[in-house]
Amino acid sequence: MLAFLGISPTLVAGSPTYARTAPKAAPEGSPANGESLITVMNPAIAGKLATRSPLAPPLDKLDGKKIYMVNLSWEGPDAANYFYGAMTEWFDKHYTGVKTIVKVTAEGMFGSDPSIIKDIIASKADAAIVGVAG
Amino acid sequence: MSRWAKQIQMQCNIPAIGVASSNIVHYATGYVAKYQTGMPIRYVSVPFPFTGQPRAVDVGYVSGKDMLSGQPLMSAVVAALTGPLTAEEKISGAPPEEALESRLLPPDSEENLRMLFEDREWTDFNSIILPTERRVTEMLKGTSHKPDEVIKTINITGGARQLTVEKVAISAVMAGASPAHLPVILALATQAPFGNSTSSMANMLVINGPIRNKLKFNCGTNAMGPYNRSNAVVGRAFALMSKTAGDLRNNVNAWETLGNTMQYNSMCYGENEEALPDGWDPLHVETGFKPTDNVLSVGTGWSSIASVGASQSIYPTHYLMRDYMSSFCASGSAATIVIDPTVAGLLKGVHGFKTKAQLSEWFSQNVTKMNASYWGNGVIQSTAVPFALAGLEPYASWRKLPDDALIKPFTNPKAIHVVVAGGKVQTMWFVTDFGIRRGVKIDDWA
Repeated sequence: MLAFLGISPTLVAGSPTYARTAPKAAPEGSPANGESLITVMNPAIAGKLATRSPLAPPLDKLDGKKIYMVNLSWEGPDAANYFYGAMTEWFDKHYTGVKTIVKVTAEGMFGSDPSIIKDIIASKADAAIVGVAG
Repeated sequence: MSRWAKQIQMQCNIPAIGVASSNIVHYATGYVAKYQTGMPIRYVSVPFPFTGQPRAVDVGYVSGKDMLSGQPLMSAVVAALTGPLTAEEKISGAPPEEALESRLLPPDSEENLRMLFEDREWTDFNSIILPTERRVTEMLKGTSHKPDEVIKTINITGGARQLTVEKVAISAVMAGASPAHLPVILALATQAPFGNSTSSMANMLVINGPIRNKLKFNCGTNAMGPYNRSNAVVGRAFALMSKTAGDLRNNVNAWETLGNTMQYNSMCYGENEEALPDGWDPLHVETGFKPTDNVLSVGTGWSSIASVGASQSIYPTHYLMRDYMSSFCASGSAATIVIDPTVAGLLKGVHGFKTKAQLSEWFSQNVTKMNASYWGNGVIQSTAVPFALAGLEPYASWRKLPDDALIKPFTNPKAIHVVVAGGKVQTMWFVTDFGIRRGVKIDDWA
């Protein structure tokens, strides 16, 4: 039926590349489907897993807290500034005494900006929001 | 973004959460957490696209839903900042023992092995030469370097994978190369992996020096087409080693939204040094190498625009090139112009450009672009806006100009390269936005 509609049944079932499962290796020396077995080298390189770090303790409540909003300037700073502005309004409306600080990083999303960390410490911020990517 | 959030948590000991659109957050919480940060950063997610939207859309996301949990976004933010830590979020210390990749794969039929290579995304989905130990051993005869020598550690998407001479030789076999190609491919490995960006970039590989003729790289007719083994296998090897060594997998850690067909071969070609006009130096000499050095130069960019027109006296070819270059983003002032020898001859003989450098300088002085168009490019927004905000010129001044002001975005003529290739069959040229990095000496890898 699908073929009559101009749609391949394979397409609906999904890409065969991803639908199939990885083949199981046959026991060494035994033929698979009558073919002789060959041994090849592995092109992949094992990745090193990162050392685990725990999250910092969460806040017990938001009232009276200072939230530092880091604008990574993802394709420019405007979108995140709009977003953080609306977030600030939301906190003002729903919590008492929440203060926000918005800072744009000096080197964008790829760089580092030690002044941001210094500023977070100096401002005694209680939490941070980093973004916005996309 | 995860790197920033981790840094804040580690150095300030305060909760730091990330906000990202749905296209990115799974990468951030999956591959990045596993191989880069080791910290399960809490995220909330907005719809994609986020940037480039009218203000009302971005503001509206705040009152919308979190794309991860489905609950109101700000409720998710509050939960991420105040929710108690789970056992998973408290884990610290050395990671569990990594799963090693065996040097040899278990014996299997050719058909099954081909399927395995495709399932693991180790190929470009064109047929490969299976890398048997005998073939790889034979390939390694092309270099004096030891198989276990580490060329570089690839960590661009995490994992700190050590790319060895042997692993590169495996990719060279898979690409169909011969041992004579290995020094070129090893030089190329120093630049691996290829561009991997949501912006869908690609690479350009230019070969200079006597090795072009020794290995019969095509520098003439069809230099950039599928008509030559050396151009084909070296270009293809870059894709294969990038994917295997970089562990690049579609929708896992390779997020090029359109992808780029140029990644199949990375525009690999040789410069037609023999056809350069007098006074025009080859690319590698212009970038500081000796004429007798064998050099591989790698460029990164996105696109090219072609035209025929060098013979039209009513509008000289460099005027057309200038016009087309104004379409490019000019990130890093980079451009590479690839021209047929006939065009090079006209540019020198008729239009008076005695050197490539003079032509590059002319482009730098004469390519103009509307200010709004310059800042409208997402790459420029990501890279040049921070410079402008930091007061760096000319970006700071450009940001203050009216939208319709004309700027000269190619500020650095040394970043504008001219390469002569082609067979004198047509007055043809490509202007590209590829930025070429300093070359690598191939003989260092012989």
